[in-house]
Amino acid sequence: MDRADLMQQELLLDVKGLKKYFPVQSGLLRRTVGTVRAVDGVDLFVRKGETLGLVGESGCGKTTAGRTILRLLQPTAGEIRFNDPKLGWVNLERMSRKELAAVRPNMQIIFQDPFSSLNPRMTVERIIAEPLVINKVAKGQELKDRVADLLRVVGMRPEYMSRYPHAFSGGQRQRIGIARALALNPKLIICDEPVSALDVSIQAQVLNLLEDLQAQFDLTYIFIAHDLSVVEHISDRVAVMYVGQIVELASTDELYYTPKHPYTEALMAAVPKPDPRRRDHPIKLPGEVASPVNPPSGCYFHPRCRYAKEVCSKEAPVFREVTPLHYARCHFADELKLRGVVG
Amino acid sequence: MGKQAESSAGAEGLVVRVRDLHVYFFTDLGVSRALNGVSLDIPAGKVTGVVGESGCGKSVTALSIMRLVPHPGRITRGEILLYRERDKHNGHSMVEEVNLTDLDPQGPVIRSIRGAELAMIFQEPMTSLNPSYTIGDQIMEAILLHQKCTKKEAEERAVDILARAGMPNPQTVVKRYPHELSGGMRQRAMIAMALSCTPSVLFADEPTTALDVTTEAQILDLMRELQAAMGMAIVFITHNLGVVAQMCDTVAVMYLGRIVEQAPVEPLFYEPQHPYTRALLRSIPHVGSRTKARLEPIRGVVPDPYATIEGCPFHPRCDFRKPGLCDVRVPATTQVGENHTVRCFLYTEQGEDNGQG
Repeated sequence: MDRADLMQQELLLDVKGLKKYFPVQSGLLRRTVGTVRAVDGVDLFVRKGETLGLVGESGCGKTTAGRTILRLLQPTAGEIRFNDPKLGWVNLERMSRKELAAVRPNMQIIFQDPFSSLNPRMTVERIIAEPLVINKVAKGQELKDRVADLLRVVGMRPEYMSRYPHAFSGGQRQRIGIARALALNPKLIICDEPVSALDVSIQAQVLNLLEDLQAQFDLTYIFIAHDLSVVEHISDRVAVMYVGQIVELASTDELYYTPKHPYTEALMAAVPKPDPRRRDHPIKLPGEVASPVNPPSGCYFHPRCRYAKEVCSKEAPVFREVTPLHYARCHFADELKLRGVVG
Repeated sequence: MGKQAESSAGAEGLVVRVRDLHVYFFTDLGVSRALNGVSLDIPAGKVTGVVGESGCGKSVTALSIMRLVPHPGRITRGEILLYRERDKHNGHSMVEEVNLTDLDPQGPVIRSIRGAELAMIFQEPMTSLNPSYTIGDQIMEAILLHQKCTKKEAEERAVDILARAGMPNPQTVVKRYPHELSGGMRQRAMIAMALSCTPSVLFADEPTTALDVTTEAQILDLMRELQAAMGMAIVFITHNLGVVAQMCDTVAVMYLGRIVEQAPVEPLFYEPQHPYTRALLRSIPHVGSRTKARLEPIRGVVPDPYATIEGCPFHPRCDFRKPGLCDVRVPATTQVGENHTVRCFLYTEQGEDNGQG
């Protein structure tokens, strides 16, 4: 079975060969001296109602990938197809600003930092109402009622709507950000590190809220995070990024317990497990994360890979289906016996 | 200041003993009671974890011991004792007790201790390294200040300690500036600097929080290795229970300026006693547990630091609170197992009236 067999109706998003390059400019004349390959080949599909986790280390391009998928950034190459409930399948990368405006209500984003993502000069009411006003969904008392509903949905009291963001804690601010994202009844929400700025005891509240809302409103999430425990908990499937590319994509269980890419194996070994009887030693990755300005030849991971052979420095592996719906970008994905998160 | 001590604590193998420490910040908005009676024993050569959420006082605890509490904070009550080994005359090692709370925080005694016997590394290596000096200069500064040696010897020592901290090409790195290194390498440089005078206690304040998971694993591994080789005590401050489980021998759990539970690492994770510790462990996703069980969040929010909470600081969020007791009195520290103490009325009837004092 491959993605062609998946019923098209079942999918919400289908991304192929997505690339986003940024020029590196220098000097007075801003001459372009190089290219940052922030996203350098992302292939993924998202089913309706599922949560796709997107993990990777800082600078691997996961945030840029999320923003490019929403067309907040213009892709350099590739295809972003979105299954709009009204318009059907549309190619986001080809749409004009005007055309995008019709699709945008269905695609929202929740940001990492609840302190900088809310305008401090706007009341909670205005923050949440803004998308409703812009899209002319409601006004007057109806608008106020809708904001009150949204606050209740995210577990906050509607009386708070006249306050400003500074009056709220990090967890409550994140709830306000979620209410704003929900305002237009979106289909897809990209959650960009939504809990990493929160305290441990508050993280669980927000994660549970996201799960409840998903069930209640039939939402689909792309959950971008670097915390592998959180991603395991919330995701149905997980994609691992390394230097702008997805190196592995599989169901959460398969990816965590039977990984097929050496980088995933190293990530799993590195997660500090909250169990003093399971002290383990990480797999030492020599060197540093490769630079997206000047990535290595062949497989981007080969200089740090303990299984690398000659071919790895010469030929770039393709992202392929190794077992049904388990994709990996490695020449030896069929042969390697890699360790998962336990044992 | 010094007292020749056959003192019990020194003999118990402690390097630092903190008793009933209160640190208040006198701000324009009111008094913030950052530490409200912290008692903590730091055993020599062991890793002690201090875990808690933001604002619980874990960093202030370390800064108080270093006598680095920033203005407008003040130690208002309690004492901090350091047990230092003095020069070994004819085979006898003497343990001297120094009361750090009596010292002038800018005076010569604490300055001879700070950096030499008590060292600290911070979360964000970029902000704690000076951008205008080379890595080598910054490591040599500490060596030249605390040890008698020439500049050349200091440089050799700097290269040597960088190599021990796992720094590739230490000879060239000493000539580099902080911005030329990656986050993981900067943290290695920080560790090298802190260890350059072989301190007896290293305070590590969230040293891996800003790092990626594979880099974090490398730094944790390095710290474990150096700890075993150099035999110093590490006080590991973190909010990450995974890191605590992997690194620490004993753990102190803090909540709102108090240590609510303290135990060796296994009982803390397998038989947690305080409702806050239990709730904290249930609220985090356990990687590799293969269960999709719903997380159990702790209700409510971490209280505002200026708030005064009568009674046990955790009672407004606690599922086991006893009205008329927990909201009135502060539970006393109770022994519940070997080296396992807890402050909760589930285990004692003894309390103090409003510990805000």
